[in-house]
Amino acid sequence: MAALTTTESETGSAPPAARPPRKVGFSQKLSRWDVKVSPYLYISPFFILFGLTGLFPLAYTAVVSVYDWNLLGGQGDFVGLQNYVDVLNQPTFWKSLVNTFSIFLLSAVPQVIIAITLAALLDQNLRNATFWRMGVLVPYVVAPIAVSLIFGRLFADQFGLINGFLGVLGLDPVGWHSDRFASHIAIASMVNYRWTGYNTLIFLAAMQAVPRDLYEAATIDGAGRVRQFFSVTVPQIRATIIFVVITASIGGLQIFDEVKLYDVYGQGGSDRQWMTTVLFLYETAWGNQRDLGRAAAVAWMLFLIILVIGFINFKFSTRIASSGPKAPKVSRAVTRRLLAEARSAGAESAARRGDQQSTTTTDTTDRSDS
Amino acid sequence: MHRSTRSQGRLAATAGISILALSLSACGGGSNDQGEGEGTSDEPITLTVATFNDFGYTEELLAQYTEEHPNVTVEQTVAARSEDARTNLTTKLAAGGAGLADVEAIEIDWMPELSQYPDLFEDLADPEVEGRWVDWKVEQGTANGKLIGYGTDIGPEAICYRQDLFEEAGLPSEPAEVAELLGGEDATWDDYFAAGEEFVKGSDAAWYDVGTSIYQGMVNQVEAAYENTDGTPIPLADNSQVQDLFETVTAQNEAGLSAGLEQWSDDWNAGFQKDAFATMLCPAWMTGPIESNSGGIDGWNIADVFPGGGGNWGGSFLTVPASGENVEAAKELAKWLTAPEQQTTAFENAGTFPSQIEAQESDTVQSFTNEFMNGAPVGEIFTNRAANIEVNPYKGPNYFSIHTTVQDAILRVEVAKSDEPDASWEKALSAYDELGL
Amino acid sequence: MSSVAAAAQGAGKGAAKAAARRRVRRQKHHGESAVRRPGWITYAVLGIALVISAFPLYYTLLLGSSDQVTISQEVLPQLLPDASIFERFADVMGNSQVNFWLALANSVIISVTISVATVLTSTLAGFSFAKLRYPGRNALLVFVIATMAVPTQLGVIPMYILMSEIGWVGKIQAVIVPALVSAFGVFWMTQYLDSALPFELIEAARVDGASMFRTFWSIALPAARPAAAMLGLFIFVMQWTMFFWPSIILGSQNPTLPIAVQNLTAGYHDDYSLIMAGVFLVTLPLLIIFAVIGRQLVAGIMQGAVKG
Repeated sequence: MAALTTTESETGSAPPAARPPRKVGFSQKLSRWDVKVSPYLYISPFFILFGLTGLFPLAYTAVVSVYDWNLLGGQGDFVGLQNYVDVLNQPTFWKSLVNTFSIFLLSAVPQVIIAITLAALLDQNLRNATFWRMGVLVPYVVAPIAVSLIFGRLFADQFGLINGFLGVLGLDPVGWHSDRFASHIAIASMVNYRWTGYNTLIFLAAMQAVPRDLYEAATIDGAGRVRQFFSVTVPQIRATIIFVVITASIGGLQIFDEVKLYDVYGQGGSDRQWMTTVLFLYETAWGNQRDLGRAAAVAWMLFLIILVIGFINFKFSTRIASSGPKAPKVSRAVTRRLLAEARSAGAESAARRGDQQSTTTTDTTDRSDS
Repeated sequence: MHRSTRSQGRLAATAGISILALSLSACGGGSNDQGEGEGTSDEPITLTVATFNDFGYTEELLAQYTEEHPNVTVEQTVAARSEDARTNLTTKLAAGGAGLADVEAIEIDWMPELSQYPDLFEDLADPEVEGRWVDWKVEQGTANGKLIGYGTDIGPEAICYRQDLFEEAGLPSEPAEVAELLGGEDATWDDYFAAGEEFVKGSDAAWYDVGTSIYQGMVNQVEAAYENTDGTPIPLADNSQVQDLFETVTAQNEAGLSAGLEQWSDDWNAGFQKDAFATMLCPAWMTGPIESNSGGIDGWNIADVFPGGGGNWGGSFLTVPASGENVEAAKELAKWLTAPEQQTTAFENAGTFPSQIEAQESDTVQSFTNEFMNGAPVGEIFTNRAANIEVNPYKGPNYFSIHTTVQDAILRVEVAKSDEPDASWEKALSAYDELGL
Repeated sequence: MSSVAAAAQGAGKGAAKAAARRRVRRQKHHGESAVRRPGWITYAVLGIALVISAFPLYYTLLLGSSDQVTISQEVLPQLLPDASIFERFADVMGNSQVNFWLALANSVIISVTISVATVLTSTLAGFSFAKLRYPGRNALLVFVIATMAVPTQLGVIPMYILMSEIGWVGKIQAVIVPALVSAFGVFWMTQYLDSALPFELIEAARVDGASMFRTFWSIALPAARPAAAMLGLFIFVMQWTMFFWPSIILGSQNPTLPIAVQNLTAGYHDDYSLIMAGVFLVTLPLLIIFAVIGRQLVAGIMQGAVKG
């Protein structure tokens, strides 16, 4: 890993005497110090605040999880890993995991596919483009209470609109609450309603940044719309695809509102047929059990599961969006003009090195597991 | 409300975490000045009252308290749903009590868990309030012999019914006749179910909304349904009493008496409009939801009768958290708010039926009628119903966990229709085992 | 002209930006006349998506202009909203249960502060992660992403304890401070800058002798503008609609708008019409922001196409 600078070698730690110094003295030291410290300085606000608001709860949860700890009664005896064992022995916990994955797959997969398709449609020379583009984001602002009210009327088992419609067509009603899989579909559709437009806009932003001349070149090469999409668009928005897949995975495994609001009791159904693990956690802590110790154990296990899934998806999406044709990421002309204006001769070589680096850095994310 | 910042030094980054976590037993963390005698001092103070739904405590009512106690300003926070209020209260208790109101309203359903930790609340026993409430209300508000809640409202149950559907089915429809039809003064559940069988022969509607509400009405008449009075749980597999009730309820479903509409669900809301059922177990506060779901329907009425003796469903209390800074003044306020005069006013404001004997007997309450329920004399009916309650069921720490397993079993049979009664009962047994009691 | 200045100008400041946008439009009209307009199928698909997207909001408006009796009778009470919605708005604002104006002020302060701060801290960190090379970079980035996997529900109790220790219960800084940074934002900016900011530009600036911060300020920040606008919008909406944590830590004494709307439900009489009017009223500012920023945002995204 080298610090990106014009005066430092790739290792970033070569003694200055190894090269004829261009400038001597304090300003250079300052500059080197600037290069060394700045990166850390810029990420420090996040880490400092996160230490308080993220790390503290995580550590606190870890402590609670090894005690017998009632929500109201407070701390009890030290029980070691007993809470974890208890949770793992509960069939409902395993059921909730299956539900979580089922709802997650039913929501994340269609969501990403629909979002990227819509984005591709919006990334055209549309009339009133702004109107269409902002339109897809509307669901993101609708209050959950309104969404649950409407979807509740759609998906009611006996008098719901959807089953009424099916009845008109002469089909049997679907048990949107009684049937396990059907309830997952209903919940996933609420989740998809809320997040598809949002992800569409994220994809669109990335697509808009793809240089248009690439498409022109592809058109000249005789590639059709679909072919262009797969061989130009997808590789170009690789970083964004990774971003969306990972955030959708992490979010999808933590779906809570839609699940809790799907019926009045908020306990995942009479057979726990749509209880997800986050809801299980909530019920364990605030529900009838009031067992904060077990809930903390669930929280930690869920945390680890999400990490693993997130990592798998990262690998997966990196493969999907693996580098296609290498292409300049920005309009070259402007950069060239800027470089031409650069005064020092060292600048040219530096820029070349920068160029090389820019072709290699795109792969650094692959190694972020180091 | 706002405690002064204490011991910030303890928060020295992560090193402090374990210490902090360890020092946070429920009794720690709260502030320790007990505010001795503040109830009588003249220092200006602000008291907060946390309620939910609608307790009927209007601005005017609270201002009246300030008129009588010039140094006290009262501020109320209202949570929309009792569930929000419950999460709020338990979270703050778990965190040591900061941010709790001086007076916290609680629902009867929260008592089983809260009464395990009576130390979190002030003892409200006071010679002044002796004999203020119906006896069973005082019992409900008592934990380990300590009075932790002053009663506000109660939910004595009658039967609400659709007189128009009764007429269509060829049954008598006047309230007095209906009360007689359902068994009159010593009505039993069998009388109620028999009338139902009669009804469904002549109507497309079901007799009642869902078995879980019937079951709830039945279980509330059992002295100790799920736990012995020393708090030890009765294993569900050996609990023949509960199993009998379960079988009775599911058998009625077989007979077509239940509409299978889970209470509060969208289907249930729609069921009012679709004439899905003709009767409901009806605590005093239920008249509100019936009215808001029955736009354009004018057939509802109330019969002064309840199967199996009286029954109570719901009701609330005011408590004073022990961690507060003005506990004495807060007690005064809670005492005043739950006095008969104020509760009568609250009833006029929000229809919360008083648990105070004197308030029930007041002209205001006695002469109160409900327009929507065809002018039913609700004050009179519910006072009468409250007087008929004989059993105050024991609800120990695990009441709701076990109750939920049985409720779920009924829902599986009636609403989800996913299991036959026997299979569903088996599932309830394994769910009980999972509780690890 | 130094390359820094050139880059800054290229990235657009004031008039230069407007000129750039004009240039883009001209290009679109001339250069892209070659690019054919999409066919009716595209519009049909987008139209369906738009109807589905907007329906719940429209339905909210319908219920708001209806009344409880009609709502309980009819699934679709009416087809068009009417003027009575304004009376309901007035009811919401004047409702004694709800401190509407305080809630509005709180919501504005919280959402604006958090979005601005988050955009700044995220862009800084994103620039560092995407474009600088230093020991521990990848590990730290993975750590940031991992923090998103922490289930938030259980964090409420320790956070509440923390806030009561420093005496912030019931104060809006208890909502603001924890949210000043966002792992989501850092990740977002990292991914965007990774592809949108060419190394040559940074190189050029460094050659020019610009300090790291100067480089960030005049090269990275302008390049990140479209992504920053979107991030700001996302965070703003998220904070505007957030319910659970504010309701616990603030309570209805010092509410935000979602808490205020919740408090419209008085007792067992759910007045859906009033609640929905409240919901719509709370959503309205967001729609206005959409309308105003939407153009900017899309234009900003377009700028991305001619970055430099």
